[in-house]
Formats: sequence, C-alpha cells, structure tokens
Amino acid sequence: MTTAQLGKPLPFNDNRHLQAHQFLVDEAYLLDAQQYETWLDTLTDDIRYLMPVRVTTALGAGFDTSPGMAHFDEDKYSLSRRVARFATEHAWTEDPPSRMRHHISNVRTFAGADEAHLVVESAELLFRSRGDVNAAALVSCGRCDVLRRCDDHWKLARRTITVDESVLRMQNLAVFL
Amino acid sequence: MEVLDNVRRGLIPAHIYNDKELFELEKARLFSRAWMFVAHESEIPHDGDYVVRRVLDDSFIITRDAKGHVRALFNMCLHRGMQVCRAEMGNASNFRCPYHGWTYRNDGRLTGLPFHREAYGGDDGFPRGSQTLLAAPNLASYNGLIFVNMDPHAQSLEEFLGDFRFYLDFYTRQSRGGLEVRGPQRWRIRANWKIGAENFAGDMYHTPHTHASIVEIGLFREPKAQKRKDGATYWAQCGGGTTYKLPAGSFDERMRYVGYPDEMIDRIKGVWTSRQQQVVGEDGFMISAASCFPNLSFVHNWPKVRDEAGDGRKNEAVLPFISIRLWQPISENETEVCSWFAVDSAAPPEYKKNSYKAYLMCFGSSGMFEQDDVENWVSLTNTAGGSMARRLLLNSRMGLFSDDRPVVEPLSPAAFHGPGYAQVGYNENNQRALLRLWADHLEMPTPSAAAI
Repeated sequence: MTTAQLGKPLPFNDNRHLQAHQFLVDEAYLLDAQQYETWLDTLTDDIRYLMPVRVTTALGAGFDTSPGMAHFDEDKYSLSRRVARFATEHAWTEDPPSRMRHHISNVRTFAGADEAHLVVESAELLFRSRGDVNAAALVSCGRCDVLRRCDDHWKLARRTITVDESVLRMQNLAVFL
Repeated sequence: MEVLDNVRRGLIPAHIYNDKELFELEKARLFSRAWMFVAHESEIPHDGDYVVRRVLDDSFIITRDAKGHVRALFNMCLHRGMQVCRAEMGNASNFRCPYHGWTYRNDGRLTGLPFHREAYGGDDGFPRGSQTLLAAPNLASYNGLIFVNMDPHAQSLEEFLGDFRFYLDFYTRQSRGGLEVRGPQRWRIRANWKIGAENFAGDMYHTPHTHASIVEIGLFREPKAQKRKDGATYWAQCGGGTTYKLPAGSFDERMRYVGYPDEMIDRIKGVWTSRQQQVVGEDGFMISAASCFPNLSFVHNWPKVRDEAGDGRKNEAVLPFISIRLWQPISENETEVCSWFAVDSAAPPEYKKNSYKAYLMCFGSSGMFEQDDVENWVSLTNTAGGSMARRLLLNSRMGLFSDDRPVVEPLSPAAFHGPGYAQVGYNENNQRALLRLWADHLEMPTPSAAAI
C-alpha cells in the first residue's frame, strides 16, 4: 500500500494527526518495554500485520518484494501465540531480554476511507542490544498503518512494514516493528 | 590431524565452531568440491527468469535461457570483472555490464561488445563469437533442487546423494509436478554454519527443552520429551534426519493425522514407492528435520495454525509445512541463513495458504521454533572463539557406550523400510556422521590449481 493516492497529509496541527502520532509513540514505549499483552489490546481483532521480504531488482522491474514471501504475515491468532510464547518461562531468545529502542519519526497522517479510519506512515529504526559481546543490531523500515476508531480510542487495523534491507542483520525477529 | 581424529571419535574440539584457519581449510577442501545447493527450479519457471546466488564468495546467475535450459553463470564480466547482474532476481534476455557495455545472452554467450572493430580490430583481436560468461564447473539437479559443484571432476550429484534421495523425496516430491518454493527469507546470524546443519540432521534431544514454549502455547503438540524420543533418526550416505513416531493407523490415517488432505495423499501415493510409504504406514515414522551434507537442511512439521474453537473447521487447524534452508557460510563465525517455504505445486490453494502460515509461525526469520535455536547457536559460537575452547572436547557420543557399541540397537529392515542406519531414541549418530564427512573432506588435499 502507498499513500500516493491519499492526497496531501493532514496538517501537523490537525487533531487527527496529533492523535495518530501519539498512538505510534505510545506504542513504541510498549514495544521497548516488551509489554506485549497490553500491545495486543491496541490491535483490532481483524488485524493484518505484514512485513514482506525485500529483494534487489533492476530499476523498472516493477517489484521489489519477494513474490508471496514475508517475514511476518500475521493475524490476531498468530500474534497472540507469539505474545503468549514470550509469557512462558521458556522463550530463551528473550531471556535475558534484549535492550530495545523503537525510534519513530517522519510521521504523516492521511484521512482514511471514512471518518473511522486514518492512514499513518512513519519511519522506524529499531536498536536491539543483547549481551555484551556482539554488536547491537539495527532494523530500519518504513511503516504504513491503518488506524480504526473504536469507541473513544484508536486501534491498529493494518500494518505494512517495508524493511530497508534484503538480508536482515538481526539474528531473529523475536521483536515487533 | 588430531582435531579430525577427535571429531571421528565423537569428541568435538570446541574451537571448530569458530576457527579462522579451519574455515580457510573448509573453503579449500570442502566447499571447493561439495555439491552446493543454489536454487529450486520453480524459482525460475519461465524462459529468461533468473536468480543470483552465491557459493561462498562466488556469485552465480542461475538462469533459464531462451531454450528453457537451466544454467549457472559466473557473475563477472570477461572484460574488467564487473558483476554483470546486480539484481537478485528478475527476467532478462540479456545481461549488460554497466562498466563498458559488454552484453551477454541469458545463456552466457557474449553478443555485444561496443566498438568491436575499432577497438579490437574485430574478431582478429578478440574473437567475440566463442566467448561466454564462465559456467559453474558442474551443475546438476534432483527433484528441481539445483546444485553447483566447483570441482569439474566431482562425482555425479546422483551418486553423491545416493540413498539419501529416498528421504529427499518425502520433502521434494509429493506429486508429479513437484514443489514450488517461495523466498528465501535471508538473514545473518553470528554463528558457525555447521551448528545449524548438525542440529537439523539429528538433534532430537534439544527439542523438548529448547522448544518447550512451543508446546506450552499449543502451537505444536509433538515435541514433548516422551514423544520425541519415540522417534527414529536415520542416516543414509550424504544426509540424515529425524522423525516422529505417529499414533497407530494406516498410511492414509497417519498422513491425515499430520494434516494432509485426501487429494494430496492420493497424489503422494502416486509418486512415493511402496518402501517410502511403508516408512509411514507400517513403521509409523514421519519425517521432521534433515540435513544433506554439507549445508542444506529441510524441515517438515505440522503445527496448529488457528484456534479451532468456534469456527467449526477443527480438522483443518493442524497441517504440515515444508521448508528448505541453506546455511551459507560468511566466515568462521557468521552465516547467512536462506530459508524457503516449499509446498507441493498441485496442493489446493487453501492448503498452500495455511501451510505458508504454519511455516511463518514456526520457522524462518520470525519463526517461533527458530528464535530459540539461533540464540543458542550465537552463544555457542562466541564461546568457541576463545583459548579455553581449545582445551575442551565437547561430548558428541550420545548413543554409544565407551567401546562404541550402540546403547540402542539399530532398527531392523523390517522395522524401518528406509535405507541407511536408523535407530529409535536420543543419539548423536547423525551429527557424528555429518562431521565425519566434514573430517574426510578436510583431510583430503585438493589438486593444485595449476591445471586451470
């Protein structure tokens, strides 16, 4: 999905933009702290969470993702299993936990298909450090999200993560972006 | 060499998992003459399709040329050595070098050379017509798996695979049309390449502990300690793997138990030999992970991809997936993992969709099984780089008494219909078999390169 068809972004002082921006920043703090059960509640039940595999292709090839292949292609059930796994005492990859910082920037908000939806794009840099021997790992990506109004707050209904590397330099994606 | 003697006894000098000198020896004596997996034919289904893959430091364009032939072309211009293809996949009739514009057909022939007459005096100075990009010294495929060998005199792929083909078919031939693959996902891990290959070859012992969380969240019902040790390991020539023991039943019932729909079972029965079917139907073993020497692995598991409560499709919630993976060595302590999702090309669309989901949940860059494996392997590799690791022999003798007799007798041909050596329960037979082949290669000098 691109935001090219959505027209101009909302002005930065538009209340909808302020709410969307706050949603993303609040979410980043939840992810840094690995408060995944709380995070799961910020997702709609029909969430689609997608992170395609990027590939290097010739200019003009018309595609830059691996056909039919993703790093994440999740629904609420599969995300809930991932979260449930972290809550067990045997998710070794995050015990001891990583030190993480989700840096969010370049946030732009667009009016959605109706008043109940907003489209938000952002840039994200995840810094992840484990142990004391190996260098920290980074993931840089762009995100395009659809937020849906649910009662008096917003929830994430769709996220497409456009990672900037074809070969990830991180030992696993036991993280959320 | 003392290191190799210890490896053959099942006592592994810990530094072999992070040793620069040994990695150089692996490059010279192992990867230079082993059959190295590069791609599956379904990645390049149409004429002109290509993917670019590496064998260690060498980049090859794997193309399907205008006549439909698969080729592996060394990705280096004959003139100044620039990479002629810098994309990783696509479709092209020609590759044009960006440096000086030399152009090659997708079968490797040099067809375009700017100012050929003015600069070279035409064919007299440079006979264009007979020039091609260097072809890989050896290229062969089995069930669509394309392998390259850097040794032109290597034994044939069929001979090399030998009896292991019996087991490869379980993963790569479930109908006459064979597999289709997606991906690969690619990521780098700070771990030695051998660790993953050994783990997939035979490490049933790690499953109940490393992957305890997978059972706790209801993703996979099998890896409880008791179930895992009821499975058998097998080793046949160049590869081996692990299995699970299935509940009683016929071939069809056991295939249904892991989630294959009836139409796929019918097609499978059309291509698997009766002996292959007996491994499942009579012996009761279902393939799980496997490795083919040196660095190609497979996995076949059957997780639960959704909560069956409520939607009334209970028997569709568990189903199998297949993954192919390559442990691509970068250095003695770094590996690029390439992980493909594979599914039978004739499988129903709904099955393909759910099987893909099963794969993503379990294996690959975000897979929940995989996450905990890599954490272990990175830690092991770090520790293997120090001086203390040179004083430590890791015990890899599980399954053997001190006089080398097996703790558990091997399965008889009547109890296990596959070729090779098979036994029930925890053991490190396959890890030892894989490292014995590794030791054999490292001990064998290579002919000097003077012949080139």
